[in-house]
Amino acid sequence: MTIIIDGRDLQPPEPMERTLEALDRLGADDDILLLLYCQPHPLFNILRNNGYVWTDNLLPEGTREIRIRKPAD
Amino acid sequence: MHPSLSFEQAPPISVPYRFFLVAPWFGVLAGLLLAWSGGDVLASRWSPDTLALVHLIAVGFMLQAMSGAMFQFIPVAVGGNVWRSLWVANAIQPLLILGALLLVAGFHFSAPVLLSAAVPALLAGVGIFVGVVLLALWRTPATGMTLWTMRIAVAGLAVTVLLGALLAEALARGLDLPIIELTNVHLAWGLGGWALMLVAAVSYFVVPMFQLTNPYPLWFARWFGPLLLVMLLLWSGLWFRDDLRPAQAFGVPVSLLCVAFASMTLRLQYTRRRKINDATSLNFRVAMIALLVFAISGTAMAIDPTISDDPRAAVWLGMLVFPGVFVSTISGMMYKIIPFLNWLHLQRLGAPISAVPNMKKMIPGDSMTAQFRLHVLAVLLLLAAVWLPSLAEVAGLVFSASCAWLAWNLTLAMRSYRRFRDQIRASVLRC
Repeated sequence: MTIIIDGRDLQPPEPMERTLEALDRLGADDDILLLLYCQPHPLFNILRNNGYVWTDNLLPEGTREIRIRKPAD
Repeated sequence: MHPSLSFEQAPPISVPYRFFLVAPWFGVLAGLLLAWSGGDVLASRWSPDTLALVHLIAVGFMLQAMSGAMFQFIPVAVGGNVWRSLWVANAIQPLLILGALLLVAGFHFSAPVLLSAAVPALLAGVGIFVGVVLLALWRTPATGMTLWTMRIAVAGLAVTVLLGALLAEALARGLDLPIIELTNVHLAWGLGGWALMLVAAVSYFVVPMFQLTNPYPLWFARWFGPLLLVMLLLWSGLWFRDDLRPAQAFGVPVSLLCVAFASMTLRLQYTRRRKINDATSLNFRVAMIALLVFAISGTAMAIDPTISDDPRAAVWLGMLVFPGVFVSTISGMMYKIIPFLNWLHLQRLGAPISAVPNMKKMIPGDSMTAQFRLHVLAVLLLLAAVWLPSLAEVAGLVFSASCAWLAWNLTLAMRSYRRFRDQIRASVLRC
């Protein structure tokens, strides 16, 4: 299952709050798709420190698609 | 938040806060100096107290706020780490404050010894800052135009301060240097290469994020900073030719670039999907309108240099750009950056999300909006005072009051942080 969080129309820190909440219910085969207009470095730091993996893809119109998963065992 | 998550250590919250809390007091001093000096000070850009006023805003208000913002912005926006940020902040802030006060006193009292004394303090303070910040900006794995534009801006700060140091020494020691030309280049790098460049870099990140606009188009972000840099390099060379007409005419393309940035930012604000007219959006709107008027005035002066024969024309530009553009932008940014900073640091205490208060509870919204209105009144009075010198005293007092109110609002944010921090720590201990 993919949990989609469209943070483009949300004021900070709401996108980060929703992402951190979604991490709590993220299953082994699930991922989170976070849509933003910026690179969320504080979130990346949290993900890095806690072993999550993510990809960051910049679309031509400026949206960043960030996909977050639990690390493979 | 998930209590098991760990956070990477960012600069302690006291690092950016110390700069933000000091910055408005330089604005208070500037307003009081204007009120005390009266309308004569606005007759020419070259009067000692005009130079003192400009440097109270540029080296006092702006440099403090922009340095503090960079300490926090580099980790948050471009994922960089400033080396020993607490140590660096402890070292440079006293140097920057001392340097600014000595410089301003040197101009105000026409005291060469004070101008000379300001030079090593500012060179050391800015030198350390530029060194560690450039290192952080170079080492980060991040990419993008916010990063590149920030790098150019920091280089612009270095050029500005080196030229300023040369000018201060030239004035203090009576060196035979082309003071007027050097001053124009110093001003162009300070306003364009440092301040506007940094505002652009930060805007690419914070305008879409906090004002919920579309992002700046990629082509715009790719071209604006580099083009501004090239123009500044060309313009700097033109000022040292015998014929000054090309340098004056070059004000037109530089002004057009300012128009492009202001128009793009206003367009993004106008076309955003959620209209939030908070103090940040309103401050940005005023700043961009002031930038447009500045650019139009600059273009008129470049096309018809006789307009500049009236020495108040340059003061008019100064009022538009310092209180109008940069004090507005910085105030607007601080009203978002500081509550976000509070939230970020409160999250790190490990409490559940529900325990961390909303950003809107950090500074009362009504107080920010009221302070913004007073600031707009101050800017309008300052602009009017250029042509009606009798208004200078009241304009100075209103500007001073507005900056004091800004300082108070920021102090409220700091108190909110302490209060919520203590509440969270107490609740964590109870669990």
